[in-house]
Amino acid sequence: MSGAAHPARGPGDRLTGLFWRRPKLLTALLLLPPLLWLGVVYIGSLVALLVQSFYSIDQFSGLVVPDFTLKTYAELLIPSNFDIIVRTVAMAAAVTLASVVLAFPVAYFAARYAKGRWKAVFYLGIMLPLWSSYLVKVYAWKLILAKEGIVTWAAEGIGAGNLLNAVLALPVIGGNSLSTSYIGTFLVFLYVWLPYMILPMQASLERVPTSMLEASADLGAGNWRTLRSVILPLALPGVIAGSIFTFSLTLGDYIIPQIVGSSRFFIGQAVYSLQGTAGNIPLAAAFAVVPIAIMLVYLTIARKMGAFDAL
Amino acid sequence: MTPAVEFQSVSRHFGAVKAVDRVDLTIAEGSFFAMLGPSGSGKTTCLRLISGFEMPTSGAVRIFGEDMGTVPPNRRHVNTVFQDYALFPHMSVRENVAYGLMVKGVDRRSREARAEEMLALVKLDGFGGRRPAQLSGGQRQRVALARALVNEPRVLLLDEPLGALDLKLREAMQDELKSLQQRLGITFVFVTHDQGEALSMADRVAVFNEGRVAQVGTPEDIYERPATRFVADFVGSSNVLAPAVTEAFGGPRAWASLRPEAIRLAPGGRVRGTVTGARYLGAGTRLEVRTGALPRTPSDHHDGGIAVLVPAGAAVPGVGAEVALDWDAGALHLMGEEP
Repeated sequence: MSGAAHPARGPGDRLTGLFWRRPKLLTALLLLPPLLWLGVVYIGSLVALLVQSFYSIDQFSGLVVPDFTLKTYAELLIPSNFDIIVRTVAMAAAVTLASVVLAFPVAYFAARYAKGRWKAVFYLGIMLPLWSSYLVKVYAWKLILAKEGIVTWAAEGIGAGNLLNAVLALPVIGGNSLSTSYIGTFLVFLYVWLPYMILPMQASLERVPTSMLEASADLGAGNWRTLRSVILPLALPGVIAGSIFTFSLTLGDYIIPQIVGSSRFFIGQAVYSLQGTAGNIPLAAAFAVVPIAIMLVYLTIARKMGAFDAL
Repeated sequence: MTPAVEFQSVSRHFGAVKAVDRVDLTIAEGSFFAMLGPSGSGKTTCLRLISGFEMPTSGAVRIFGEDMGTVPPNRRHVNTVFQDYALFPHMSVRENVAYGLMVKGVDRRSREARAEEMLALVKLDGFGGRRPAQLSGGQRQRVALARALVNEPRVLLLDEPLGALDLKLREAMQDELKSLQQRLGITFVFVTHDQGEALSMADRVAVFNEGRVAQVGTPEDIYERPATRFVADFVGSSNVLAPAVTEAFGGPRAWASLRPEAIRLAPGGRVRGTVTGARYLGAGTRLEVRTGALPRTPSDHHDGGIAVLVPAGAAVPGVGAEVALDWDAGALHLMGEEP
């Protein structure tokens, strides 16, 4: 008999056999939990949010009226609410642009020159800040940027106190101190989200072969031209991926602007206070839809511009 | 006439590794020059010294008499066809070909017209609108060629140009490159590890070994009159004979090479032996013959055996058969010591 070649089969073997005969069964079993999670918990809550945003609140009773209306969205356009949106989007855009500029040299160095030990140092340096508590970092920044903080002290120490005062005297972005101005909010956002820009950027730069840079130089291009015509377009998917993080994280954050910055609201804070003390769930939902809509528009434009062509 | 490229005692060291070691080379204008050698022999580094992606540790590289000492790659009038083609994936074929002209500031209309002309030259008319990813390996190679040639380089460098192509395509491209070079009349310098490619395309070949040039000459020189054991061994698959063996074979006491195809089976020949192996090659059969008088030579793949090529159609003796080998007196080529 062929007993030696085909040893006795236990239940585990039979299960393996079943999956081998029906590969789709295994795929389905593996996909079921994440699909349930995404479908019910994630998409479901998003739909609930969307539905709520089309309800309105009764001004007298303070109760939610579950009838379809665009009244709540119209409320977003009244100046005090619209200012919040403009402020948040402007901040998110500024943080994203600054992240791109700051992250590029770091990511480029890591992708092209860092080897072995240096690469480990790079990853550690980028990831280390992510391991400590977000709140601790933000409060630390509040102290750093405070009027009595180390930045003011250092600026005065090197004789740049006047420069700091001049910056703080700027309209809109200035303020009493760095920790109570938009500049402070911007700096903390930039610090907290920068790793999310560096890592995808580095990954996309790593996929640009050296021979492509050499080909560009070989065809007569200087460094600047190669950067503009070859490196940046090829790194664009990474830049877009990173900007999705920095942009959407800034759009949704409500803790940083509350701790560091002027007391003016950002979208996240508006949502937080509307659904809490004010109990205006429909307006909170409408506010929460704004970042989603902005991201959809942003990604559509990025796609049209060919940002994902090199993927 | 000023040579197109000249190496004067050029060395390129990477730390303790001498990738290129005191190389002297002269590449005449209009020639099709091959740099042949195994991997790590310094041939690619030499190509990169011409394109400017490597700087010599010592010595001078001259292009048309001009010392390239501090000239960066983008200021040299040479262009390269890269081994992996290095086409820009985010640009169309036309934009790829026109890239060099765009960098020079040629306006869009004329550079696109020139790009189309070049695509026609490499028989890719009508492919301008495609992306490199939509092309086959052979077509990408042609795009890389057009992209380099559109800049009208005086020297075209090709790094293992046919390495990634399959056999049929490689043979077709060999003919095409050769005729292109003759038509354009510019200097082609190409790097290869394939001796067949070097011999069939180039009109001069430099054989590299361990960072040094072992021999420079015409393909006939290299194949028929190898200067060193290395060249004889690497170019083709010659029998390299140690001095004692050469002597036993009726020559002087010196290293020699004996081509398998120069040996014939003839009763009453110079040397007798036993067939120990046979390999059918289609165009002939390669026999391994152990000759009794033969001592083991230091070269490991000729340890007492000698290769004999029996042409197709001739009777092939079986393994174990006793044979006698003969060759013309001139077939035994004597070589100098390894430098």
